Order: sequence, then structure tokens, then C-alpha cells
Amino acid sequence: MFAYVVKRLLSGVVVLFLISMSVFLLFWYGPSEPAQTICDRDTSNRCTPARLEVFRENLGFNNEWYEEYGTFVKGVVAGREIQFGSTTKFQCDAPCLGYSYRTKAPVFEEMKTRMPATFSVAIGGAFLYLAIGIPIGVAAARRRGTLTDKALVSSFLVISSIPYYLFALLTWLFLTITWEIPFFADTGYFPITDNPAKWFSGMLLAWLALGAFGCTQYTRYARGSMVEVLNEDYIRTAKSKGLTSNSVVYKHGLRAALVPVITIFGIEFGTLLAGTIFTETIFDIEGIGLWALEAVVQRDLPVVSATALFGAAVLIIANILVDVVYSILDPRVRLS
Amino acid sequence: MSAPATGPETLGSLSDGPEVTDPNSKQGKEIAGKSPMQIAFGRLRKDKIAIACAIVVFFFILVAIFADLIAKAFGVDLETVTACEVLECNFAEPGVGYPKTGPPFYPFDPEHPFGLAPRTGADNLAHWIYGCRTSLLIAGAATLFASVVGIVVGLVAGFAGGVVDKVLSFITDFFLTIPFLLAALTIAPIIIDRFGTSDSYETVQIASLIGILSMFGWMTVARLIRGEVLSLREREFIHAARVLGMPTRRILFRELLPNLTAPIVISISLMLPAFVAAEAGLAFLGIGVTGSASWGQTIANAVPYWSNYPLYLWEPLIGVVALVLALNLLGDAVRDAFDPKTRR
Repeated sequence: MFAYVVKRLLSGVVVLFLISMSVFLLFWYGPSEPAQTICDRDTSNRCTPARLEVFRENLGFNNEWYEEYGTFVKGVVAGREIQFGSTTKFQCDAPCLGYSYRTKAPVFEEMKTRMPATFSVAIGGAFLYLAIGIPIGVAAARRRGTLTDKALVSSFLVISSIPYYLFALLTWLFLTITWEIPFFADTGYFPITDNPAKWFSGMLLAWLALGAFGCTQYTRYARGSMVEVLNEDYIRTAKSKGLTSNSVVYKHGLRAALVPVITIFGIEFGTLLAGTIFTETIFDIEGIGLWALEAVVQRDLPVVSATALFGAAVLIIANILVDVVYSILDPRVRLS
Repeated sequence: MSAPATGPETLGSLSDGPEVTDPNSKQGKEIAGKSPMQIAFGRLRKDKIAIACAIVVFFFILVAIFADLIAKAFGVDLETVTACEVLECNFAEPGVGYPKTGPPFYPFDPEHPFGLAPRTGADNLAHWIYGCRTSLLIAGAATLFASVVGIVVGLVAGFAGGVVDKVLSFITDFFLTIPFLLAALTIAPIIIDRFGTSDSYETVQIASLIGILSMFGWMTVARLIRGEVLSLREREFIHAARVLGMPTRRILFRELLPNLTAPIVISISLMLPAFVAAEAGLAFLGIGVTGSASWGQTIANAVPYWSNYPLYLWEPLIGVVALVLALNLLGDAVRDAFDPKTRR
């Protein structure tokens, strides 16, 4: 297993290199003038060709992309010095992801301040996925074929067929504007260390939207896999031993039924951590996703490459973890 | 993107109970061969939800195709007007910035059945009709390209094996590791910006969105097809074709491809709603279509006016939801119809 994990990690590193290279290539050869947006903003739309040239030189767009990419990689590994213009100089320690063109702040530091918001959203939402989705799914599987089951499955299918961002948008519009429920009024991220109650009320609406939408899928997964498990021979054996129905379902059935659900959950949780862009935009939470969106609009290369790298790294790790956990939960699976 | 769940008995429960008219028992009487396509079609025709969804989808397709005619019939167009002609610009009156006729403050105005947009004074119906066209055009073209690329990559990887398979599989996995939204977010504005100065701005924007969506949509198809091909290529009829000296291209497209109809149709029917949702989502974030009408863009514009003018938001929202919902349910029905394990 150790060799397998090392192999997967190595291929993950190759993917990270490819992704960061693609971002650099995209910025060098994508826009007709890479420095234009930043020049426009910093000079309040009075960007003369001479000023543009200064920006090109300072941001390194006059060099070949691979030279700058080399500097970037060296910075990540060993740290580097960054110079804006002729006077200001910054010491950027490893892992140095560069300085934001927009805020002139070190990207890694800003990422650290943004991460708790995204993590709060992702952990709370993912908790609700499982906490709502699995019990309902199991209950539906036990009542398979009844009217309740059919109504539940059909209505959840309909909900999960709606695009998520519209669901979240309507949740926000109705709860905060139309009905003006005071507890939900102020959504956003407030550090948990400052004021846990405010943190909770700021996040609650985002969690509810994410959880209510996401749990529909988990209900379907849990129901499908539970129905399958309940048809197995060992469940029949457990029943004929005279065990109670609850003990059969929760002790014997649930463990096997959860394995495929956990697999899907692992990947999806990784995707959530990589940036909940719609949730953060709609509920105005200053996390990684919103940061990425702003950076892209402003052509802030260091931030864009940092968020892209972060997202890919989280997904790669989530994938590896899922495979390892899967092999522990299900002894029939061998990693190779 | 939406990966088709393969577990048995996942979604077969939409059918309304054990139907009296079981297609299989009926078939028993006539002795006629039926292709999987025909069987699936027969099942779909009996599925009431699938028929209802197909009608909704068909309606949207008609609106998209005949957008010009419909707009003319209602006498509306996308032309922007001088805002003060149709909007309340007099600060003494209530409702500054809102339309002078029609919703939200005045009764229905037959000249603008869907009302006018606040601030810009643009006609909502025209934007709705052309938004439908944009949405279906982008989603349809992206689905087409993504499936063609996916099918070709899957066929080649599965059939060639060896190094070719390894390289193609690595590329597929590489694209699967990239978070779609983050990537689309990064690429879309830059590509659009690149060609932003040309005269045909709208066309270029739509073309680049099609490119981006198809770039991140082909992998699931490729994986699915590769898996199918891996098992099919060991079957006797492929061996026979090889022994007969059939050229590889002919084996791929005449022998293998017809056997892949089911997975291809299923993945197309699940890709389409995902792309419609993605297009509107990107436009909602402000990085999709901006040059022409788009539902997502209208939704984003309408959010600030929600408390006074909810109709402005409901119109594009219902468009997106109805289209995506109908396509998704239809896709599920198609998948069930092709799945021999579900009894209907």
C-alpha cells in the first residue's frame, strides 16, 4: 500500500506541474496584452503605452514564460526575492506563491486567511449531506415500494435536477429579503475565534442551502446501496436468527451500504474544499472560491495560479485518501 | 460533470408501479427481432414522465430555432432604447428606474408581455427568447464536440491499447483532476478577452464558451467508451472482422461503434442538461456570455431588484430550471430505458 500511495503522490506532483504550467502559458499567450488589465486598474484607466511598458517589465511579462515559471517554482521550493519597480523589494519565504498584483500582499498569507471560510462552508455543508441524506435514504430503503418511498425519491430527484446555484440563490433571496428572517440577515464569514455565535449565524444559511441540496443526492446513493445490501443472503440470515429489524439494518446492513457512499462523498468533499464558488458568491463569504473569481477578473496571475494549484492538490489528495479508505473498509479491494 | 451512476436499482423508481402492459410479454407473441434502440424507444414511449419532458424540451428547441419569428410576432427586439422613454426618470414620481408601463407597478402591457428590464429598459421577452437560443446553441454544440472527442479518444485508447492507451488515459485522468468550475473560470475571461476587440465579439464569445465546455466534458464519455471497447474487442465478431482483413478504421466505425449506441446516447442525454446549467452558471458569475442575451446574465442583473420586481428574476430562472429539469429527467428515463436490469 505504501508503494501505491507514493506512486499516486508522484503522479499527483506531475499533474500539479502541468496545471501550473498551463496557467502560466494561459497568461502569457492568452490575452492580447497580459499587463493591460492591471495597468488600467492601477492608473485608473489612464494607461499610456509608456506606463504599460513599465508594468510589463515589472510583472515579468517581457521575459519568456519559462524563465518566470522557473522563478516561480524556485520560489515555491526555496523562497525568493520579489521586486516591484526599482524601489520596493519583498522577501518571500518558501513556500512562496508570489505577491498579488492587486493587493501587493503575499499570496500564501492571504490564502491562509481565506482558507477558514471555505473550510467552514465545506465542513458544515458536507456534515449536513451525510447527517440528513443517509438516515432518509436508509428509511426510504426500508419502506421500499411504498408511497412514501416513491414520493421521497421522485421529489428528491426533481430537487437535485435543478442547478445548485439557482437553489442557493432562491434560498438566499427568500430567507433574507422576502421573509427577512433576522437570524439569517447577515451572511458572511466571521472568524470563529472572535465570535462563535456570529460565525454560526453567518454560515448557517450557506450550510442549509448546501446541505439541503446535496443531501438529496446522498439519499439516492444511500437508498440504492441499502436496497442492494438488504437483498444479500447474510441479511436474511441475520433476520432468521431473530435479530430485531433495527439491529439488522443498522448493525449488519449499514456498514456495507455505506462503503460506496463514502467513496462518492470523499471526492465531493474534495471538490467542496477546492472552492465553493457559487456558495461564496451568493452568500458573500470571503473564501478561496470568491478570491479565485475576483483574481481571474482582475488578471491577478499569482493568485490565479495559487488557487488553481490549491484546488488540484486538494482533489488529488482526496482521490488518494478515498482509495486508501476504500481498501480498509472493503477488504476485497487490493491497491496496486 | 454528471457521471452516470451505474448501480442497479438506483433510479428505477420513477415508474408508476409494475405496469400491466409489460413490453416483453407483448413481444413474445410476435416473432420479430428488435434492436436495443427499438426496445429503448418502445420503453420511452410508455414512460409518461419522459413524454412530458420531451414535449418541454421540444418547446424550448422550437423557441430557440424560431427565435427571430417569435420575437417579430410579439413585436419585440433586443434593441436597446433610450432609457427615459420607457423608464421612470422623473425623481418626483415613485419608482425611479423602473418601467413606466407593465410590471411591477402598472398593469399588464401587451406591447411587452414579459415586462421591461429596470435600468436598461430592454424587453424581457426578447431577452428570454434569445437567451433560450444562446443556451441551447452553446449546450448543444458543446455536447456535440465533447461526445465526438470522447468517442474518438475512447475508441482509440480502448482499441489500440499499449502506449497509446497509457498516454490517452493519463490525459483523460489529468483533465478529470482539474476542478471544472475553477478551470472554466480561469480560461473563459482570458480567451474572451483575447478576441474581445474583433468585430464579431458575440460569435467569438459563444465559440470560446463552446470550446471551454467541451474541453471539460469529454472525459466521462472517453472513459465509458474505453471500458466498453476493452471488453468488446475480445469478442468473436471483432476477431472475425480482423481475420477477414478488415481495415482498422472500418472495424472501429462499422463494427464497434454500432455496439456503443447505448452508452453514447446515455452520456449525451446527461451531458446536455449539465452544459445548459454550466452556461447559465458562468453567465451568472459574470464570466460567460455578456455580448448577447443569456438567462444566467439576466438572473444576475435581476437579483438587486428582487424585492420590488420579482417577476424579472422569475422569468429567466423558470427558463433555466424548466429546461434543465426536463433534460435531466429525460436523461434519467433514457438511461433506464437502455438498462436491461430495470423492469418497467
